[in-house]
Amino acid sequence: MLKYTLRRVLGMIPMLILVSVVVFFLAKAMPGDSLSGEIDPNNTNPEYIAEMREKLGYNDPVYVQYYRWVTDFMQGDFGKSTRYKMPVADLIAEKLPNTIFLALTSLLITYVLAFAMGMYSGRKPYTVGDNLIAGFNYAGIAIPSFVAGVFAVYFFAFKLNWFPFAGSVDIEIDRGTLEYWMSRIHHVMLPAFVLGMFSTASYTQFLRNDLIENSRKDFVRTALAKGTPMGKIYNVHILRNSIIPLVTFLGFDIAALVGGAIITEKIFTYPGIGLLFLDSVNNRDYPTVMAITMMLSAMVLIGNLIADILYGIVDPRIRLG
Amino acid sequence: MTTNAATGAVKRPEKSSSPWAIARRKFLKNKMAMISTVFLILVIILTLLAPFLAPYLSPIPDITKVNISKMSIAPNGDHLLGTDKSGRDVMTRLLYGGRISLLVGASATLIVVVLGTIVGSVAGFFGGAVDSLLMRFTDFVLNFPFLVFVIVLNTILFGIIDGLWVLILVIGLLSWGGVARIVRSKVLAEKENEYVLAAISIGTSPAKVIIKHLLPNVLSTIIVQSTLLFASLIVAETGLSYLGFGVPQETPSWGNMLAFANEPDVLQGKPWIWMPPALIITATILSINFIGEGLKDALNPKSQR
Repeated sequence: MLKYTLRRVLGMIPMLILVSVVVFFLAKAMPGDSLSGEIDPNNTNPEYIAEMREKLGYNDPVYVQYYRWVTDFMQGDFGKSTRYKMPVADLIAEKLPNTIFLALTSLLITYVLAFAMGMYSGRKPYTVGDNLIAGFNYAGIAIPSFVAGVFAVYFFAFKLNWFPFAGSVDIEIDRGTLEYWMSRIHHVMLPAFVLGMFSTASYTQFLRNDLIENSRKDFVRTALAKGTPMGKIYNVHILRNSIIPLVTFLGFDIAALVGGAIITEKIFTYPGIGLLFLDSVNNRDYPTVMAITMMLSAMVLIGNLIADILYGIVDPRIRLG
Repeated sequence: MTTNAATGAVKRPEKSSSPWAIARRKFLKNKMAMISTVFLILVIILTLLAPFLAPYLSPIPDITKVNISKMSIAPNGDHLLGTDKSGRDVMTRLLYGGRISLLVGASATLIVVVLGTIVGSVAGFFGGAVDSLLMRFTDFVLNFPFLVFVIVLNTILFGIIDGLWVLILVIGLLSWGGVARIVRSKVLAEKENEYVLAAISIGTSPAKVIIKHLLPNVLSTIIVQSTLLFASLIVAETGLSYLGFGVPQETPSWGNMLAFANEPDVLQGKPWIWMPPALIITATILSINFIGEGLKDALNPKSQR
């Protein structure tokens, strides 16, 4: 297992280098100084720009510039935001907790809901409840998340007034109090549900089909013949088999949350990395854009790596391949 | 068919249907798929007829001109779906917007299917170093966060090429990985058959083997995949336009119309502006998905329905 994990981690490194090269050249292709953000975009004096370019080393060979950018990046120096006049790393550090909170809540909701609905549907297939859940699943898979999000804001935030329609916390409340955390949870619920809707639907369907398939296996018949109650068979024998594949989806979830967070944060005006990314593109704050691009690309790679490793843990055959 | 008719003159043999005929019959029997097909064709016809229908639908058929005197009118006899914040008729824009959204979806699907099929079939047919090189590259493309890169590329290319085609190209160039993988795995299985070996042994060129022998057998998979892709690429267009990074904002598209929902007062108080595009997007995506599922069922020889 250790050997397999090492091989996967090592296999990721060329991919990471390639992605960083692409991001670097995209940053170079962007207008202005999107690598460091040190050149003031409002100062159009050609002498000033030429001087700054020389000072920042933009006249060096490309590979020297790339090497400098990568080493800076690895040390946490992501350049300077042209809009906020502060290091991009600080800017990201300020917004990242919100996005992580959103992603974790979304994962929690996804797994709890998928587990509850999948268990029910799998144990009682082809009943009214199962059909209702199947209907929800179909909608969850087919309806685009931003359309669902817009409807969710309209009905749950504006019409029913159950949830706030924007922000991550009430501004008046003091940090750190219980009330503060309650308000944060209240703000995060609706976006987290919309963000996790697609996964919830697909996992529910997966768990249901797996439960039904497993319940026809020989070991179930054996357990029944020995007089084990059906409830115990489901909870102990079948569930253990069905839950393993579900765990491996976690890695793909991380990758999917990256894209999903951008749209969800926009719909709910939730101040996280996604919203920062969109605002930075709109305000031509290119250093921030490129830093977030690199960060999210790395997250996708890490997500896929986790998925691979989890697969290896669950299914020993994959380790040899 | 013609040979069957010729021999049929002597003694009509037991005529078995071709796989396509079986598939067609199965598809025609699938209720959801048929309803969806009719709906989709209706949507396509209506959007294509937009320039002819527009004068009958509203007193202001112009979809780009701002009318300050007619801003945000609720639905009434003149404007069946009301007008938006710039005083443009929502119904008319919905039809014109459909053209753009469907055009972007279809063109991007075409790019994706062509690229994915070429890469997948070449990798699968040649195997070895070619295969591992192409598949490494495919992994690489699949590893980009799609949304992030579309937005970044769009920002760079904007102004160099016409906005609509930037979007189509970028979406197309970033989405072919999945198709390539599927086509490759199908070709890998298919090329083990003896008829492929026979074709190669009589000196058929690789290009001809792929096009004449392998692709027809992978076609059903490609058809199903491209249907589902069509739906997800329409979602990509509308989603990007909703975020403000898709179709140029002066061009009406379903996503651009839905983008009005970004303004809280529209979202809360003027649902006639954003609800029609939201509903038509959902209905279109759902129907394309049903068609895709129907095709998958119909083209699968193992399914009994």
